[in-house]
Amino acid sequence: MDKVGSVIPEIEVRGISKIFDTKEGDVVAIKDMSFSIQGGEFLVIVGASGCGKTTLLDLIAGFTRPNTGQILLQGRDVSGVNPQCGMIFQQYALFPWKTVQENVEFGLKMKRMPKSERKTIGKEFIELVGLKGFENSYPKALSGGMKQRVSIARALANDPKVMLLDEPFAALDAMTRQVLQEQLARIYEKHKKTIIFITHSIDEALLLSSRIIIMTARPGRIAQDIANDLPHPRNASVELSARYTELKREIWDTVQAEVLKSMELEAD
Amino acid sequence: MRGKKSQVTRYAYISVASFVLIMVLWEAFCRLGFIEPIFLPSPSQIFSRALKMYDQGTLFLHVIASTRRVMVGFMVSSLVAIPVGLFLGSSRFFKAIFDPVISLLRPLPSMSWIPISLLWLGISETQKYSIVFMGSFAPSLLYIIESTRNIDPILIRAAENLGATKRDVIKEVILPGAMPQIIAGLKVMLGIAWTCIISAELVAAQEGLGFLIMNAKEYFQTDTIFLGMLLISLTVIIIDVTFRRIEGRLLPWTR
Repeated sequence: MDKVGSVIPEIEVRGISKIFDTKEGDVVAIKDMSFSIQGGEFLVIVGASGCGKTTLLDLIAGFTRPNTGQILLQGRDVSGVNPQCGMIFQQYALFPWKTVQENVEFGLKMKRMPKSERKTIGKEFIELVGLKGFENSYPKALSGGMKQRVSIARALANDPKVMLLDEPFAALDAMTRQVLQEQLARIYEKHKKTIIFITHSIDEALLLSSRIIIMTARPGRIAQDIANDLPHPRNASVELSARYTELKREIWDTVQAEVLKSMELEAD
Repeated sequence: MRGKKSQVTRYAYISVASFVLIMVLWEAFCRLGFIEPIFLPSPSQIFSRALKMYDQGTLFLHVIASTRRVMVGFMVSSLVAIPVGLFLGSSRFFKAIFDPVISLLRPLPSMSWIPISLLWLGISETQKYSIVFMGSFAPSLLYIIESTRNIDPILIRAAENLGATKRDVIKEVILPGAMPQIIAGLKVMLGIAWTCIISAELVAAQEGLGFLIMNAKEYFQTDTIFLGMLLISLTVIIIDVTFRRIEGRLLPWTR
């Protein structure tokens, strides 16, 4: 419908490279990477550990700058930390001295929104992630799964265009992970955010994404870019379907080759 | 629970009993003439000295004088050290500028400031405050800079990602994040502030607990000296306990 919106990609990564100078010399984390994401896509990036997935997310969030190339957010160069890209960290990164309510309201407080308005929106998002009744708890009193829900609510309350999730469920137990995956899928459908989600779980990628990018071993590049055409909702019967197995095998073949390469790299 | 509680009371009884026993033995040794009163006065002598000074109205005069000096000097030093420390802790550039000065000031014991402070400010109240300030400022500052180092950088990133400016980060992340360590540091500094003021009063003062014991020395009033030492000890204990109480309220999330 909105022609301009469909022409300009939400995020455009243009030939970026990122090099870290360490004691052992320069390490090329990402080399000449390009891709673009349309608004409303749920992109999952899969790759072996140390392939530069987190580095890529840091670059998109504006925490670090690429050595070459550029990243455009709705056609504008990302030149610093940008609240339009809400980040969700694997380690939750909640403020321990703030209650659940205060954590969720943080972004709004930074926008200098009046207190009463903040409170209403904060409550709404706490309810959305199913934490009603925990508004006045401190993070210390919450389980890992609850903490990550607070972190999701905190990012959502700030109403970012894009959500960046860096292995958000990796530290959680299998049951909690599944509950949160379903919750995230529902939030995605309801709020129509553009999402970039990093994981090393192929199942998680297949369950959540509309598109999957597989990264190569260091230096990170795109090994494969696959559209995930599995039907919604992605329930147990989808997981048992032939298409699911086919996609999983295809991804696994690529990932396995890259994992082996990265293990050889580490052995050097 | 009950078992644990009754154990605590039991140990408390043991402590009380040991205190009473020491006092009784001390009193007995003095009364039996084993120890000269001029050398070591008995507890009852010290107590009657306290009563006499209370009647004269001079007992709390010295306590109040010293406490006021510590509090003023300590508060000014904290009020300067906390914001400056947070700022230097979050800016490598400015820390590099101030590093040489801080490094030179830090090793100076507070007593070494007494001569110059007397020349600059005379035997005044300001001179007392300045001794407490100089004695506690540099260590406080270093403590606070250090406490900002232990903040998880991911929290700063999270704040920036939610739209926090540099100032927001200091106010919303660095200050509360460093608070537990700042308070622990200030507790140590308060002890140092007491050392500062007692030494300053020993050298030059007309009132205060340091003056009380130094002046009593001139008249061989050993009971007054011991009373003064006891008062110093009690005052510091009371302030320390009060500080602990406040600490819990300032850091509700650590409970």
